[in-house]
Amino acid sequence: MRIFVTGIGVVSALGDTVQQNWNALKTGNTGIQWSDRLGLMVGEVKQTNESIMRAYALPQVDFSRTTLLALIAAKTCWGENRLVPTLKTGLVAATSAGGLDRMEEYYFRHKTDPDFVMNTLMTHDNGRTTDRLANLLGMNGFVGTISTACSSGANAIMHGARLIRHGRLDRALVGGSDPLTSFNLKGFGSLMIYDPDICKPFDANRKGLNMGEGGAFLLLESERSLVETGNKPLCELTGWCNATDAYHQTASSPEGVGASITMQGCLRMAGITAEQVNYVNAHGTGTGNNDLSETAALKKVFGVKTPPFSSTKGFTGHTLAAAGAVEAVFSVMAILENALLPNANFTTPMPETDLLPVTTFKENAGVEYALSNSFGFGGNCTSLLFKRHH
Amino acid sequence: MFIRAASTISHQPTFRNKGFSSKLLPLTPDTALIHPDYGMFIPPKDTRRLNDILKMAITCTSDCLLQAEIDQPDAIIVGTSMGCNEFTKTFLDKIHAANGGLIAPTAFMLSTHNTIAGQVSLFLGNQSYNITHTHNNLSFEHALVDAMMAVEEGKQRVLVGAADEMGNELYDMHERLQNNQLLATSGASLFILSDEGSSVAIHLIDVDCYSQLENLEATINDFLKRNKLTLEEVNRVLFSASRSATAETLSRIFQTEKIVDYQVFSGAYYVNSAFAMHLAVDLLEMESKPGEKVLICNNLIPNNLGLILLSR
Amino acid sequence: MDELKQTLKEQIIQELNLKEVKPEDIADDTPLFGDGLGLDSIDALELIVIMENFHGVKITDASVGKEVLYSINTMAEYITQNKPA
Repeated sequence: MRIFVTGIGVVSALGDTVQQNWNALKTGNTGIQWSDRLGLMVGEVKQTNESIMRAYALPQVDFSRTTLLALIAAKTCWGENRLVPTLKTGLVAATSAGGLDRMEEYYFRHKTDPDFVMNTLMTHDNGRTTDRLANLLGMNGFVGTISTACSSGANAIMHGARLIRHGRLDRALVGGSDPLTSFNLKGFGSLMIYDPDICKPFDANRKGLNMGEGGAFLLLESERSLVETGNKPLCELTGWCNATDAYHQTASSPEGVGASITMQGCLRMAGITAEQVNYVNAHGTGTGNNDLSETAALKKVFGVKTPPFSSTKGFTGHTLAAAGAVEAVFSVMAILENALLPNANFTTPMPETDLLPVTTFKENAGVEYALSNSFGFGGNCTSLLFKRHH
Repeated sequence: MFIRAASTISHQPTFRNKGFSSKLLPLTPDTALIHPDYGMFIPPKDTRRLNDILKMAITCTSDCLLQAEIDQPDAIIVGTSMGCNEFTKTFLDKIHAANGGLIAPTAFMLSTHNTIAGQVSLFLGNQSYNITHTHNNLSFEHALVDAMMAVEEGKQRVLVGAADEMGNELYDMHERLQNNQLLATSGASLFILSDEGSSVAIHLIDVDCYSQLENLEATINDFLKRNKLTLEEVNRVLFSASRSATAETLSRIFQTEKIVDYQVFSGAYYVNSAFAMHLAVDLLEMESKPGEKVLICNNLIPNNLGLILLSR
Repeated sequence: MDELKQTLKEQIIQELNLKEVKPEDIADDTPLFGDGLGLDSIDALELIVIMENFHGVKITDASVGKEVLYSINTMAEYITQNKPA
């Protein structure tokens, strides 16, 4: 059964619309900036919670930013589609933070202000942020949440595709969102993996990552659904694979075991050869460990003919659970616009693997197949393969 | 599809104890969780970063593999509402205490929701499919849907289960359930799902998840109808609820003597429907005749309904 | 110096939760990583926190860290040489 992508939406430090994000990538304008408030280089979404709530005329309740960022992307993606009783429509959202942004505010303020409303805590768990999103979208029925750290977004997309393939759904709105939280900012800080400047994925002198926030959603449909909705496919999702590195809770294996299993799994599922892949949107966080592991995996899967690849995290920052979905949208756009996306700040190849990412925006690139990689804590690895729709 | 192994650590004598369903007593506020000797299942050198919830999940995993007589599962799928909640709290406390200074990373590293499934994979050295579903009271049901699909895709031995911990101020369940007078607690249950038959011979017929639930009765009817069953053909209904309307509806559509509130025995935690599934497996094995059916009706959050159907 | 080494061993066992290890099991020159005590990259960060929070000594450069955190001897030397007056 074929799975079609018929809608996309993304919000990141590059903007609130697909077009804004694309223009920034095309012109090489990064969204990563110094934040006085956070004392870090971060990829922050410009809109405040208040401005999003105003824009969508939301009730004055304590929304998690996870829900609000997801709402922007999901609304754009869903567009003018309507819920109809004849099509089983589901929502699968990914997040690592869930309502952590609200909960940490409760937690820190509760210590000094015992009257601080308990209601804030009611937004805490991941499922609740998705339930609220479903509520705002008017969706019911199958509503799920996936949380596998930084591969969550990709796994939500994979899960939606499988639900359609197994006949549990006809359409699935799939993606993820994560806000910047003190918890995660301090957490990645405690791992000492921040680049004090804008990150340099795949560069020999890379120092680490920048945190980002964002949300992205894709609408997946079956053939039967297409007949009924009349939607025009943007592209097809022809491969997906999840595997585990089983090496360390946070570090990736130096040989890129998990990553090579998932990339190979996608090729096998789609029935294509390694040479047919025209672009890889890499996980490429800019940490010493990830980029070494990922390039080792690329060499293992593609041999001496590594396809053009780049990490877009030098533009958006690492948007955690949203990253897999944000980068899936970028991969879909690479196919639609037939272009290769640049990898920011690359100058010197890594001595260990000696691979050169794409450094400038390239048009007329003949992108038939685009592969998107996402890796997370727990050794969780996922690759997705998108194909041009003819 | 068969449930080839089931293992639960809870407040009841569930662990490695077939027939436990006849020994259940309602929980009181002072009933303790029954921890097995974890040293029997996890080498001491592997436990230094594990807290209780991780030890519970890994121990149930080991037990399941022993029961199913296999070394490795082909997939690891876990449902957890709160993930490693205690590590989240520990790290928040560390942020607070550090006051801008250096913070030790271990609690952060272990605080993600997929730590349970991730640590199981590390413990087993297992590189297969590994997913964590985290949707409050439906976390386990979502994991089970995924597991059924995995078996349908040809994976022969799928490890699926759920674990949640509570007991600190980050957990809102107490607030949510305050009218229930239930013991808010922790639990872990794991299962091996397979297409291959076994001596256990308990079938998992169907599972589904419903959010923004509009009509409990109509939803149950539709679910049974798609499995070509009538209300009368269900022999027992294990349910959870946070308001009395659920029990009233179930009493009306099934017979009152068929329905059992499993939370009285499991205590309140978001994935206690996994406890209920083990209870159903044990009841079907010990007390039922072939063909008997148990429906698990998880309505712990009024808007969210999980349905699991099992038969002998 | 011996007292400092003993303290470091106790702190490492405590902070890294090395339940099976006793201070006397760690020789002053045992490599803490790899084949020695078998610590990993996360433990290295925990050691840096021990150095700063308990002994007031900062390690900011990863390459320095590798040498300093090699054994109890190297840690104790670094603390003695860099301890704030």
